[in-house]
Amino acid sequence: MKPGALEFRGSTSTPKNGVNRGVSVLDFVLRLVGIIATLASAITMATTYETLPFATRFIRFRAEYNDLPSLTFFVAANSVVCAYLFLSLALSILHIVRSGARGSRIILVLFDTVMLGLLTGGASAAAAIVYLAHKGNSRANWLAICRQFNSFCERVSGSLIGSFVGISVFVLLIILSAVALPRRSSHH
Amino acid sequence: MAININETKSAEIKPSKSKSGKGKAAALGPPIIVAATKATSDPKGGWKRGVGIFDFVLRLAAIGAALAATATMGTTDQTLPFFTQFLQFQASYDDLPAFTYFVIANGVASAYLVLSLPFSIVCIVRPHVVGARLLLLILDTVMVALTTSGAAAAASIVYLAHNGNPNTNWNAICQQFNDFCQRVSGAVVASFITALIFVFLVVLSAVALRRN
Repeated sequence: MKPGALEFRGSTSTPKNGVNRGVSVLDFVLRLVGIIATLASAITMATTYETLPFATRFIRFRAEYNDLPSLTFFVAANSVVCAYLFLSLALSILHIVRSGARGSRIILVLFDTVMLGLLTGGASAAAAIVYLAHKGNSRANWLAICRQFNSFCERVSGSLIGSFVGISVFVLLIILSAVALPRRSSHH
Repeated sequence: MAININETKSAEIKPSKSKSGKGKAAALGPPIIVAATKATSDPKGGWKRGVGIFDFVLRLAAIGAALAATATMGTTDQTLPFFTQFLQFQASYDDLPAFTYFVIANGVASAYLVLSLPFSIVCIVRPHVVGARLLLLILDTVMVALTTSGAAAAASIVYLAHNGNPNTNWNAICQQFNDFCQRVSGAVVASFITALIFVFLVVLSAVALRRN
């Protein structure tokens, strides 16, 4: 085919168009998984509290997520990411319908990367605090509070898992968008 | 999209000149749309080459930031001149596991950036290559996650060290270890800058992967 030759594109879907459409459908499904994971994380963390039946002079008898600023940031980050994923479902459906929309794919990659950073920041900040709460630190004289607040620590650790699932979902979403970008498709 | 006008004109003239020989142009009638293929619209890959150069420069900046973060955190060591009964008088990065993870994460990011420089040069020299750019994009995404996680974990510990937490009875150790806290905070800032540069690199690779 000489350069500059006129090209005809039929209305039937070519195999490459089918791959693009499959990638877009997988993108949509991954976004749904991400919504569920981050929502579950945020709700689990926000509804965790434990009240000890006794009170000592040194340790408070009630533990909640907003006692630790990192956990508050975790809930906020997961909520923002969940809302973003919900709003980006619309763009994802657009990509299923029109497989060749390249400009909106790049915008989606940009926002996905920023949200990946936010989610990873929230999850690892909370993970560092949870690790500290489990083990304590002898150098800084920080006591391990999980020995008293056992069920609080367990629920908080469990809610981190949903957030890490969300992180891997975002990495997969960015890779999928990058794979779909250089492919030629019939709709421009 | 830069459409080559000369080629368009030659495609217009052809049907009127030769009606028999060139079947592909003669069968069309009025020339319609010229689909710009890769060769006509961007033969030399001008803007992709510019994007590749910008990518290379950003990688060099990220190497500087990541190495600064690793070195600052790794060489932080403060010994207080007095000795009390309750507090240890020496603080270094391996006392806190979050800081150890920070040093490891930023070290891996620096090593990856140095190793990715040849791939970046390949993307400048051959602007239309897809495989190398895609590989860089995937690895850059993983590095965004790694760097941000190291920086955020260290940041939460630094915040705790600065402010303490009355609810869990954790004391603010920065009041004693002032110099240590300052250096560590500087390292965390450098790591966040590295993460931001990685985000830019991902978006640049995505933009350059577009088919024209």
